[in-house]
Formats: sequence, structure tokens, C-alpha cells
Amino acid sequence: MTDNSQLPGTVEPRSAQRVAERALQWSRVGRAVGEEVDLPAPEIIALNRMGFGPRPGDLEALSALGSDSTARLQAYVDQQLNPESIDDSTCDALLAAQAFVTLGKSRQQLWQEHVVKEGVTWEERMQPVAETLRATFLRAIYSKRQLVEVLADFWHNHFNVYGWDSWSAGTWVHYDRDVVRGNLLGNFRQMLGAVAQSAAMLYYLDNVSNTSAGPNENYARELFELHTLGAENYLGVASIVGPDGQYLHPAPKDANGHPLLYIDEDIYAATQCFTGWRINTESGDFQFVDSVHAKYSKIVLAQATPSGAGVQDGEFVLDLLAAHPGTARYLCRKLCRRLIADDPPEAIVEAAAAVFYSQREAPDQLKQVVRTILLSPEFRATWGEKIKRPLEYTCSLLRASGANFAWSDSFRYRYDALGQAFYSWRPPDGYPDRKEEWSSTMPMLQRWRFCNWLMDGWRVGGEGADKDTLRIDCRSQLPAHITSAAAIVDFWAQRLLGRSLPAAERGALIEFMAGGRNPENSLPASQIDERLRFLVGLFFMAPSFQWR
Amino acid sequence: MFKPSRRGFLVGCSAAIATWASGLSFTAFGSAGTEPNQEILVVVFLRGGVDGLNIVLPIAGEDRAHYEARRPRLAVPLTGANAALPLDARLGLHPGATALYGLYQEQKLAIVHAAGLTSDTRSHFDAMQFMELGTPDSKSSTTGWLTRHLRSASNLPASLIVPALAVGNLQPSSLLGNRQSIGMTTPNDFNFGGHWEFGDWQRVALRKMYDGSSWLHQAALQTMDALDVVERANPGTYAPGNGAVYPNGSFGRSLQTVAQVIRMQLGLQVATLDLGGWDTHEYQGDGGTGYLSDKLKELGQGIEALLLDLSNDNGTDHTRRLTVVVMSEFGRSFQENASRGTDHGHGNIMLVAGGAVNGGRVHGEWPGLATDQLYDRRDLAITTDYRRVLSEILIRRLGNPQLGAVFPGYRSYTPLGVVQGTDLNPDYTEATPAPSQRIYLPAVQN
Repeated sequence: MTDNSQLPGTVEPRSAQRVAERALQWSRVGRAVGEEVDLPAPEIIALNRMGFGPRPGDLEALSALGSDSTARLQAYVDQQLNPESIDDSTCDALLAAQAFVTLGKSRQQLWQEHVVKEGVTWEERMQPVAETLRATFLRAIYSKRQLVEVLADFWHNHFNVYGWDSWSAGTWVHYDRDVVRGNLLGNFRQMLGAVAQSAAMLYYLDNVSNTSAGPNENYARELFELHTLGAENYLGVASIVGPDGQYLHPAPKDANGHPLLYIDEDIYAATQCFTGWRINTESGDFQFVDSVHAKYSKIVLAQATPSGAGVQDGEFVLDLLAAHPGTARYLCRKLCRRLIADDPPEAIVEAAAAVFYSQREAPDQLKQVVRTILLSPEFRATWGEKIKRPLEYTCSLLRASGANFAWSDSFRYRYDALGQAFYSWRPPDGYPDRKEEWSSTMPMLQRWRFCNWLMDGWRVGGEGADKDTLRIDCRSQLPAHITSAAAIVDFWAQRLLGRSLPAAERGALIEFMAGGRNPENSLPASQIDERLRFLVGLFFMAPSFQWR
Repeated sequence: MFKPSRRGFLVGCSAAIATWASGLSFTAFGSAGTEPNQEILVVVFLRGGVDGLNIVLPIAGEDRAHYEARRPRLAVPLTGANAALPLDARLGLHPGATALYGLYQEQKLAIVHAAGLTSDTRSHFDAMQFMELGTPDSKSSTTGWLTRHLRSASNLPASLIVPALAVGNLQPSSLLGNRQSIGMTTPNDFNFGGHWEFGDWQRVALRKMYDGSSWLHQAALQTMDALDVVERANPGTYAPGNGAVYPNGSFGRSLQTVAQVIRMQLGLQVATLDLGGWDTHEYQGDGGTGYLSDKLKELGQGIEALLLDLSNDNGTDHTRRLTVVVMSEFGRSFQENASRGTDHGHGNIMLVAGGAVNGGRVHGEWPGLATDQLYDRRDLAITTDYRRVLSEILIRRLGNPQLGAVFPGYRSYTPLGVVQGTDLNPDYTEATPAPSQRIYLPAVQN
């Protein structure tokens, strides 16, 4: 008998080859080198990768959690993994003040009032997604439950749905609150099932029109390729007919004889399994329509469904995929990519995948997986191999500067230009998560433009239309006794980054602030008034503020 | 208090750029006729897998019968207001593609059918990677095919300012590893947007802060270089030539950006842009109407406008050195699905437009549509490797025979005759070319 809790060995030949190829590929890409980026304290890594960067006071609070970095990190991880234990009253009050009307609605209410209601207006359709967007931004900036926000962003991208279509927009509160957030520290199989039966996904990947007579493979294909096994476990187009004419899955098998890779035939069979998975257009609930379901037996990954199993056919496929070792590795590699580095060391991927696999029945499977990753030596040993994406960039900037933030259309316009507009990625693979994708000219330039817009006079003082909503008051945060260019730069380095700057950055910033004066002498107050916000803007444009 | 002696863009840039920038003209290389980059390749990628079988479709014979049987609702009719536009005796064009039809009749458009990526995959993401990296079945390359073209071509001038342009927010895989390509949505948004007094000082500081060798430092420096160049060259408002009208939407804007950069004469060699929305699993339009028809209008009108615009830049016809190739990751299933759409398939069309194409013809061997002629008994087969078409453009138009470098593993190239030009013996040496030592954008010199 095989031990069912041990993660089966890595697959040969194809996925292993792909993993190796990938490792090789990225090892050839230029790395950040020692003198330009050095490893920060684990506390700083934690605040930047388990959350959207430190707010003033966060580093001190984290430091008070233990006597050394290991103890602090452990305490912080446990705190963040138990979000209900964290007092989040400030953020809750801010959210309450927004007077959102859709965030508390049930799945059925959302459907009936924002999707199918007679004469529903475009604004009403969009209201659930628009309110979710605003709430998500506020939480990313103000919530103390930062890890939840990072993971919500991860899972929204993993189970990507374009949020601004008729069906998804009106039900988005359900998708965000119940499907994504409701499961992100829970069990993957449960989340997968909730996704599969959500209106957002059923319409986005066309499964609502998948019938026995006219199969639509869109959902089934992305279920394999993006949601569970991943392309790294795809063998391609291949036959299931063996030399003697019997069924023979061509992929290598595990000890139980289960194929470790999938082929197109698996997708076609799975497509049949999901026929009839729909939404009840009156209630908005999931509905299984037996009359369009393929009733005969189907073989997926060499396992046959009993004929006439109805809705259980689809559940069977989800069971199979959620419990597959390839899913464990693919998911954990993605999580490590988000939480550690673009190309995470295989050791931590394997360690996390082992937990994912052995705990696949546990109600807190994902919490255990995330804990494994965050408390790994790899987590605290890696830096500068990721660039903040626009969401992390923007939120970390607003957090670090103690900005008074509220949503506005002009903010949204500026944010969207950075290239990561919320719930707006149309293909099903979610926003890319590699530095190459975010460090070409346009994304780089848009960061600088964003800083320049933010540090414009209207948002740091003055009487602009958004004076009560978006303000970064740099001047009042600078202690009165700090007056030389060098001291001002050193103060803001600690204040924004929690550590000192590399020499090249420090020198350039001091030169900017000094404006030709002696950097060690007190600057005239007028010069500090004039230049300080542009200096802070430069901090946000600096290399040190881009790494993750 | 002192100020930078010139605008920020001159700080830290190379002598070549400074010389160029101090000139009176916005033209980098004198007149268009003497600009060194005689040939420009524009690659339009149709993301999502375009349904080539409903764009160029059988209008006669047995295949017409197969087509009508497999696509009872989607089939483009032979008569009536939405009748197929005849291309030759066998094949017709979707009625939404009237602009493309006009180009075809003027012999500015060539069509290749049953072309594509021969890898056994129906995954969007794998197929796009394989195609754009130029390495079917492998995603391990750190460079895209266009990057390797730019590195291996021996006929490029010693100094180019903007050799490669990726229109849009993100860089495509075809330009992976190319540090000289710049990305932009439009030149008008391509500026620093800094404060009138301190913006230049900030740029001085940025140059110094990013004076380093990491991927991030290099990316930022390149961005600053591109900013310097484009800000300087951008004429501000843009008036398309010949009264060309680009279609509304981001595709039309992207094409106009390509035209604008070509007319800035910064030495552009290759440009990439995308048109998405082809993953038509549902309601793609029955009988030659609907969604696909609208998409084809956008595609056709865009290419038509680009050619029209560039055919008269104050008397210069840029289209004679312009080749536009349109490709997609795969075609779609021959059988329509129950949602009046089509699923992921295999063989597909490629379109090649420009001033030096053998237009007005459908190239390539037609494999037939009987079930046993189909790939996997399901999709249009591939008789022309997409690399063959691109190789012909590389050799005949761009004058680069280094096929081994650009498409490692690809052998036995013969021209299909899609474009005009001189044949060169292909060189299959696979040595991956190192990043070029040519001067592209200026290196930072402190």
C-alpha cells in the first residue's frame, strides 16, 4: 500500500525538464548584485512581502514582538495568519464611513438586485465590483491584516476573472468575499469548488454554455492549465489509445499508476464532466442541469467516472486535480514566487508542496502552506529579485508616507496607467508576477509619472479639489531639529525604508536636497519647504523603494 | 543657486545623442530616403487564437461542403449581403474584412493559409511563448526571435536610436532580452511629467541613483534614455498622412504610434503591437456577421490606415520599406461549438502587408478539410511553419540570413514567395548572438 500523505517524486521527463529550463533561464537574467542591493533585516522583508510595506510605527511594533528576528517573525506570522485576532478597528471605521451598500449583500441579493433586475442600470451592475475595488484599496493601505490582503490579491490573480462584465461585476462581492477571501487560509479543494460554482467564473470561462451536445472546453482547459496542474504538467496533444487498442494514458505514472501529466484528451473528458454546471438565473445560485449533462462514463487522468453520476462528475474532476501532486508543486511554486522570489529555490517549493499535499484534507491547509513558506530560511534570505508591482508600489508609497488616502477618480486614472488596473486583466492567467514584465520602459516611466503627480502641490498642500481626500504632508513629519540635507535624507531613509540607503542613492538625494549648499549645514527653511516633497518623491522613484 | 545648464535630457547622455539632439531637425538621420534603416518590420499579434477558418474560408468544392456541415451557424454564406469575398477559385474572405479585401486587390496584402506553430499544444500561453521566443516546444530561451534578429543582423547601421518599439504597457516575448526596445502607448504620454522647476533636477538625481548594473538599474537607465529621445523628437500633435483615419480604440492608437515613431526617424527596425479579443468560445457571429465581423473591421481598417498614412510623409513613401505581419497563436476548432463559437485549434492564417509583398494571392498548400486531413482529426492542419514566413521576411526584406540564430533548430528553409526581395543563403549556425556592441540608446557616461 502506498503512503498517501507523502508527496510523490517529481515527474520525469517533461515537467522536471521545464523546471530545470526555467531555473536556467532565470539564472541567466541579470541579478541584483551586492553593492546595489543588500539583504535587509528579516523584519523589513516581512513587512514588504507579507504586506504592502510598513506604515510609520509598523517596524517598531514588529520589533516589540520578540527578542530576536526569529522570534519576532514567528510571532508576526502567527498573528497575521490569525487575522481575526488582530484589532483592525481603524480600518473598519474607515470602511464603515464609506457607506458601501453592496458589501454585505448575499449572493442571491447581488444577483437579483445587480444582475437580473428589470431595468438594472449600468451603475447598478458595476456597483458591487466598484465598491469591492475601493474597499480593497482602503484595506491594502490601512488594514493591519496585511497578509490577508496580499493573499487576496494572489488568489484573485490565480483565479483571474475579468471583473467588469455584466455577470461578474454584479456578483463580485460574492466572488471576492465568499469565494476568494472566504477560503484563502482554508482548504484549496473548497476554494476550487467555490470558484467553479461561482457566477463570475461560470460566465467568464463560458461553462454556462457547456453542454453534452455542444461542449465548450474553455473552463476545463484553464482549470487544468491555470487553476490546478499548471502548464508545467501538460504533456500536450497525445493519444490515449495504446498499441493494442486499449486505453493507455501516455504520461509517466506515480506509484499508484496515476498519470502525473495531463493531455488534451483529459481536458475533453473533463469538459464533458462539467456539462450542465450553470447558474439558476432566477436565484443566482449554482444549478446543475441534468438534461444537458453528458451521462456516460468519462475517463480523466486514467480514472473513470461512474456513468450517471450527474453533478458528481465535475466534483470528481476537482477532487482529482486538487489532490494531484502536480497541483501541489505548481501552486506552491506560484505562492513562493509571490512571497519570496521570481524563481524561488526548489527546496522551499518542495517543502511547501509536501505540506500542501499531506494536508490536502485539512480545513486550514492553505494556512499551513503559507506558514511553511513564511517561516522558511529562504523567505528571510532573499531580496531584490522581485520588483513591486503597481499595486504594491502604490500602496507601499501611500503607507510609508503616512498619506491621508481616499479614493477619487483622478487617483484611479493615475493608478490604472501603471498597468495593473483592478480586476481588469482579460486573459485567464492573471497579472504577470515576474520582474521582466514590470521593468520595461512603460511601467518604469509610469511610476515616476505617478510620483510626480502625487507630489504636485495640490496633493501636499494647497486647496485642490481633493484636499480632504488625498494628502501627503511631508513637512509636518520632519522633526524641526533635522535641517541639513544629509540629515534630512538619512531621516527619510529610516522613515520610509527602515534602513540606510546605498551610497549612490544617498549621494544623489543629498545633492538634490542641498541644491548646491553644504550638505552638512542647516538649510534655509524656505528651501526645505520647497524641495522636501520632491525629495520624498525621489525616494519613491529610487531603486531601494522598488525591490521586494 | 545653480541650475542644469541644459534641459535634463542632456545630462549624462552620450556624445551621439547630444550631437543629434543639438541639431535643428527632429529627423535623426537626415531625410527619410537616406535614413539607414531601409526596412521596418511591424508584427501584429492577434491574442487569443484567431478563427482563421472563418476569415479565409472555402467557397467551392468538397471543402465547402465540409465547412457548411461543421459550421452550420457560423459559416459565411456564398450569396447575399454577407457573402464571402472571393480571393481565388477555392477561398473567400470574411465580409467584415472589406478593408483587407481592398488591400488584397491592390496587391498590398498576401495571405498564407494553413500556417502556424507545429507544436502539439492548444494552450494559449505555451503557444504564444513558443512562437514569440521563436523556439517551438521550449520556453527556456532568454531572448525572443526579434531580439535575436536585431543581434544577428549584420546589415544594421552602427548607430540607431530606437531600433525596437513595443507598443503597449508590457513587452512581448518576441523582444525578450532586448534592452534597446522601448515600450510606449503613445509618444504624447511618454514624458516625465515633473515639476517645472525641480523636474530636471530630479532627473539628474535619477541618473545618479540608477548608475548601476542590476536589471533594475539598467531598465531605469534605458527608460531615461528613451524619455530623452522621445521628448525631444515628439512633434506633439500628429496628423496622419493622406487623410488616413485610424479606427477608434487602442489598436488604432497603437498603429498610429508606430507610424508616428517611424516618421520621427529614430532608426526603427521592428515594432510589435497586439490586438486581443480573438478567443471566441462564444457567439462569434453567425453567417458572416457579429463579433468577428466587427473585429475584422478594426483589424483591416487599422492596417489600411497605417499603409495609407505612411505612404505619404511629406512626399516620402515609407511603405516601400515596411512589412506588416499579422499572426496568432493558433487557429480554432473546425467544428463550431454549442455556444456559437469555436474552441482552440491548430492551423491558421498569417497576413503579410506592405509595399513589397506578393499580394493578391493566397500562399501555401491547402491541406483540405476532410476529417482525415485534419490535425488530430479535429483542426486545420499546418502545411507552412510560421517560421518559414518570418524567415522569408528576414531574408528578402530585412536582409538577415542568420536563421540558425533567430530560429534555432529550424532547417531546410525555402521561400514561399510571400514577399519580394533577394534570396540569400540561409546560415543555420545556432550560436546565440551576444548583445550587440552597436550604439543604440546612449550609455550613461558620468
